[in-house]
Amino acid sequence: MAAQEMETRAKQEVQHQDKSREQTRPGRYFLPEVDIFESEEGLRLWADMPGVDEKDVEVTLKNGMLTIEGVVSLDMYRNLFPVYTEYNVGNYYRQFVVNEDIDNARIGARIRNGVLEVSLPKAEAARPRRIEVKAG
Amino acid sequence: MALLRFDNFDPVSGLLTLQSELDRALRSPEFNLGLSGPGAYPPINIFESDDTLMLIAEAPGLELTDLKISSAGRTVTISSARRPLKMAGDTHGYHRRERAQGEFTRSMHLPEQFDLARAEAKYEKGMLIVCVPKREEAKPRQINVQSN
Repeated sequence: MAAQEMETRAKQEVQHQDKSREQTRPGRYFLPEVDIFESEEGLRLWADMPGVDEKDVEVTLKNGMLTIEGVVSLDMYRNLFPVYTEYNVGNYYRQFVVNEDIDNARIGARIRNGVLEVSLPKAEAARPRRIEVKAG
Repeated sequence: MALLRFDNFDPVSGLLTLQSELDRALRSPEFNLGLSGPGAYPPINIFESDDTLMLIAEAPGLELTDLKISSAGRTVTISSARRPLKMAGDTHGYHRRERAQGEFTRSMHLPEQFDLARAEAKYEKGMLIVCVPKREEAKPRQINVQSN
């Protein structure tokens, strides 16, 4: 069977339930698409954030809430006139409730080619342990 | 009792089904007639300055070794792949899998006044940027006015 042709889904704008909650920075915010993978060691998250580099990305875990935010630099669009557009340019923002017990000190994040990768290692107490069963 | 009438052929719905089946078949990669505008991957914005046309595609997570850009006449073609992640020991597995993956090819036909032979491309921050300079004769130019 032939592979499914890749398609682009339109970016979803961040909708705050609470209308009084606004970002201090101007500009639109979109939800980045993510993959989240869990293993015995912890959680890993990848988020597509094209246009964001390492100095403009923020990852925080506070009270069980993981927040990722990326700000897009618009410098490259200076003196350019749009003639055809298929996607909106904007910042990225998304939050997740993390139920697992995460070792805050060992959280790691890096961004490469517009993909943010976050690793959230589980705290020692939350990791599965094999308990030896003795005969007799 | 509900009766399924198999003999009642409806020519209109038959045709509509045929049409959607044809659309689907023509979009499959074998026919090479996929989406050409919005919805195709990667999404592209096109900008113009005084001397250049800039195509900017959002395609994060590509490897440079996988990225191919070619031009023929007035058509520029980009192709690459978004590779699935290789996870070892996936005992729990994925909570979410939203990021697009697969191979893609997309072509754009450009207006005459842009010179693809002198095009340059770069890949940075997950954005593929192709700059195509305008031909000299198409650039805006000041015309001197002379008086006798």
